[in-house]
Amino acid sequence: MESYAQRGLLPAGLRDALPPAAEWEAAVGERLLACLAGHGYQRVKPPLVEFEATLLAGAGAKLAPQTFRLMDPVSQRMMGVRPDITLQVARIAETRLADAPRPLRLSYMGQVLRVKGTQLRPERQFAQVGLELIGAATRAADIEVATLAAEALAEIGVPNASIDLCEPTLVPAVCRGLKLDDATAEAVRAALDQKDAAALKAAAGKDAKLLEPLLRLAGPAAEVGPKLLQLDLPAEGRTMLADLVAVADAVRKAVPGILVTIDAAEARGFEYQTGVSFTLFARGVRGELGRGGRYDSGGVEPSSGFTLYLDSVIRALPAPAAARHLYISHGTPRAAAKAQRGEGWRTVQGLEPVADGRAEAKRLGCSHVLIDGRIEEV
Amino acid sequence: MSRPNNLLTLALPKGRILDEAMPLLARAGIEPEPDFANENSRKLRFATNHPNVTVIRVRSFDVATFVAFGAAEIGIAGNDVLMEFGYPEIYAPLDLGIGRCRLSVCEPAELRRTDNPARWSHVRVATKYPRITEAHFAARGVQAECIKLNGAMELAPQLGLCRRIVDLVSTGSTLKANGLVEVETVADISSRLIVNRAALKTRPADVGGVVDRFREALDAA
Repeated sequence: MESYAQRGLLPAGLRDALPPAAEWEAAVGERLLACLAGHGYQRVKPPLVEFEATLLAGAGAKLAPQTFRLMDPVSQRMMGVRPDITLQVARIAETRLADAPRPLRLSYMGQVLRVKGTQLRPERQFAQVGLELIGAATRAADIEVATLAAEALAEIGVPNASIDLCEPTLVPAVCRGLKLDDATAEAVRAALDQKDAAALKAAAGKDAKLLEPLLRLAGPAAEVGPKLLQLDLPAEGRTMLADLVAVADAVRKAVPGILVTIDAAEARGFEYQTGVSFTLFARGVRGELGRGGRYDSGGVEPSSGFTLYLDSVIRALPAPAAARHLYISHGTPRAAAKAQRGEGWRTVQGLEPVADGRAEAKRLGCSHVLIDGRIEEV
Repeated sequence: MSRPNNLLTLALPKGRILDEAMPLLARAGIEPEPDFANENSRKLRFATNHPNVTVIRVRSFDVATFVAFGAAEIGIAGNDVLMEFGYPEIYAPLDLGIGRCRLSVCEPAELRRTDNPARWSHVRVATKYPRITEAHFAARGVQAECIKLNGAMELAPQLGLCRRIVDLVSTGSTLKANGLVEVETVADISSRLIVNRAALKTRPADVGGVVDRFREALDAA
C-alpha cells in the first residue's frame, strides 16, 4: 500500500482546502457576488475548458504560456483550461448575448488553472470573482467599476484595503509626445515599472527631468492628484491624467473607508488595458487582491471590469469565528435535533450509544451537547 | 499573513556596503541602537531612534528576498542583486551612489593575450550571478554554462574549475593578485534604496516618508 506521504503529495501549486477554510472561502465568494448582484450584475458561468483557438484569441494570446492544453478526443481539436475568466465573459457578450441591451453587466465566480505560479504567489489553481461592464467606455463606466471593486472589499470587511489607480497607456503616450524612439521608450517603460530612478536617468537622458515626477508622484490621491495635474507633459498625457485624477476623486468620495492611491505610470501586467486601471491591495498582505480596468478584448466593444483573487482576499480577512456544532446523543428523537437546526445550530448525530455524551462531543470537536433537552457547553 | 502593527523594517546588507550606508542612514535621521555596530552581537533585529522602525542585518542577496516578500518594507541592495533576482515586487526609487563597482567578465592574464572574445560561441563561467551572466552572454550570441559559486570566484581559474569568471570588481586588486584581468563589463553597480511594492501602495505615508528622508539626505550631500 502507498504510504500516507505518497498519497498526500499534490503537484506544486495545488492544495486541498480543509474545514473550515473551504466553507469560509465559498461564503466569502458568495458575499462578493451578492454585492455585485445588488448593483445589477448578473452571473454567468462559462465552462472550465474551451477550444484553444477561441480561448486564446485576441487579448488571450498573452495567456497562452499560462494555459494547460488537452486534446478533445471527440472533436480532435486542441482545448485549453482557462487561466482567466475575463475573456470568456467577453466572448459570451460578443456571441450569445450580442443582442442584449448595452451596457451589459455580468459577474462570475470560478476556478482557474495556470501552468506556473509566481515565486510570490505559487498557487496554480485559485478562484476568481469579478464583473464586466461591457459596451461602455466612458469616465462614468470607469468610476462604476473602480468604485464597485472598492465597495466589494469594504462590504466583506477587508481591513486597511487600498485601491491604486493607474493609466497604463500614459507612458507610451508621453514617449510618443516626446518623440522617443522605440528602444528608448522600452527602456523608459522598464525603468518606470521598477521605479528605478537610476535606470530612468540613464534611459531618458535630457527628458528624464520631465519623466521623473511620474516615478516620484505616487501616493494618496488627495496628495498627488493636484500635483499630477500641474505636470508639464505632452497634451495627450495631460488629458489622460485629468481622467485618472477625476476617477480617483470619485472613488474617494464614494467609498470613504478605503485608501485611494494614484501611481499614474504603473503599467506592469496591464499590457492589454486601454484606459484607467487599478490594483487592489490590503495592508500587510503580500501581493495583490485583484486588479481591473478598461480593456480591449479584441472584439468590437470597449469594456471594463475587475477580477478578485479569492485566495488573496481570504488572506486579507480576519479569521472567521469557529462554527458551533451541537452533539446529539444516539437515540434522541429526530424532531428534537431538527428543532435545534431550526434555531440555527449545526447538529452532529451520534451514530451509537456512548457512555459519556460530553466526552464524545468533545472528541468530535463539538462546542455543545444536547443532554435531556438542554444545551450545555462542552 | 497580516501584521497588525505599524512596524517598519529596514533590511541592511552585511559587510562593505553597510559601512558606506551608515553615514547616509544618520543623515536620514535613522540611528540604530549601539549594538548594531557590534559585529559580534548575536541580535538579529535592532531598534532605532524611531519607535516603529527596526533594522535587520542580513546577507546582501537576502535583503532583496526579505523586501520582495514584504517581510521588510525597505532595504538597501546593489543592482547586481536586483538584476539577478528580477523580483517584480521590488521598486528601486533611489540610487544611493554607494557601493560603486562593476560586474565584469574576467579571465587569466595569460589567456587574455591570445583570446578573442568576439569569437566565443560557448563559455564556462564561475559566478555568483548565473541569471545575469546567462542573459549577458545570450544577448551577444554566446552560450554560457554557469557554475554557481558563493564566494572566492578567483580560485576557479587557478584550480581549473573553469577559465572565466563573472564577478564584482571595484579596485581590481583582488583580480591582480590572482593573475586575472577584466575582459568586458557586464553592468555598472551601485546600491539602491529598495521598497516593497505592496507596502508602498498600502502605507504611502510611512514608506514614502522614509524614501523622502533618504532623498533629502542624498540631495543635501
